[in-house]
Amino acid sequence: MSDGRPTDPLARLGEEIDKARAQRVRAQPVAAERSNLQQGLGLGFRIGIELVVAVAVATGLGWAIDRWLGTRPWGMIVLFFLGVAAGMLNVYRAVNRISGAAGYRKPGETAAATNKWDDEDS
Amino acid sequence: MALEIHPLEQFHIERLIPIHIGGLDVSYTNSALLMTVAVVLITALLVLGTRKRALVPGHWQSLAEMSYEFVADMVETNVGHGGREFFPFVFTLFMFILFANFLGMIPYAYTVTSQIVVTFALAAVVFIGVTIIGIVRHGFRFLRLFVPQGVPAPLLLLLVPIELLSYFIRPFTLAIRLFANMLAGHTMLAIFAGFAASIGLLGVLPLGIDILLVALEVLVAALQAYVFAILTCLYLSDAIHLH
Repeated sequence: MSDGRPTDPLARLGEEIDKARAQRVRAQPVAAERSNLQQGLGLGFRIGIELVVAVAVATGLGWAIDRWLGTRPWGMIVLFFLGVAAGMLNVYRAVNRISGAAGYRKPGETAAATNKWDDEDS
Repeated sequence: MALEIHPLEQFHIERLIPIHIGGLDVSYTNSALLMTVAVVLITALLVLGTRKRALVPGHWQSLAEMSYEFVADMVETNVGHGGREFFPFVFTLFMFILFANFLGMIPYAYTVTSQIVVTFALAAVVFIGVTIIGIVRHGFRFLRLFVPQGVPAPLLLLLVPIELLSYFIRPFTLAIRLFANMLAGHTMLAIFAGFAASIGLLGVLPLGIDILLVALEVLVAALQAYVFAILTCLYLSDAIHLH
């Protein structure tokens, strides 16, 4: 104990781990960059298919409704455009990182950040 | 001389042990075999890897701990408050898809996630589960999900269907993304391998491309598991933190 270091091997190991952690924090920019790349790749793979599937599923649904109710071709036409809109909405939200569906915010996001919509209206 | 190429043959389901119960075909197939292998390997990695409970982890233990921490981190940052209880679900999902994708990279092994039945079943579990969690947590207020705030009433007539559609499309995008990526990648691998086999010496070129494609496919295998898990997290977060 004379050199101020704990003799207990466990405590010493803890100290060493803390030191290594501190070093890793200093090297953080690289790690942050890498996680950015990972997130970017994930996002890219995500949105690629979002639009296509939205349009395809909506149009298919429209076709099925037409067959069922005999309203050809209106169901398919209306749902095609709704599908395009929904797909764009999904892509927009994915890019904006305001995940899923309607009118709510990402946890932790302040009201001010989402208020830009209101500003644009006025 | 002409070597026939069947790039889609690899997706053929074979009955290894035919089982028929009450007119239902529940045979043990090559797909089921690979699923079993995936589950056994994951269990082995986690149970045997952490068996020693060493303070300074060995190879296997740090692999197990790394996968745990990776998913725990993902749940923490994407679901946030109250996400802890869903960790086991997300972890199971992630590990299963990851192992299924990676096992599919082994030549002659079946790629479980290249069947839309499998991916859609996984996506449906996520979708139905998230919807139930949302309804249980918020009751009728859950339906506010489909009504954007601060929108004039006439516009709602247009926006509510769009929001409904964008919500119900979720399981489809989730399923098709994973399935299409795996199917396309493995088909491409087989096509180039077929070229390499059939054009003699010049076959070195497609073989080279194939090697690069294998590297890409390994990336895609890991990335698709990641995307599936992170979207599950985001959907969970929506259901829990309803505004």
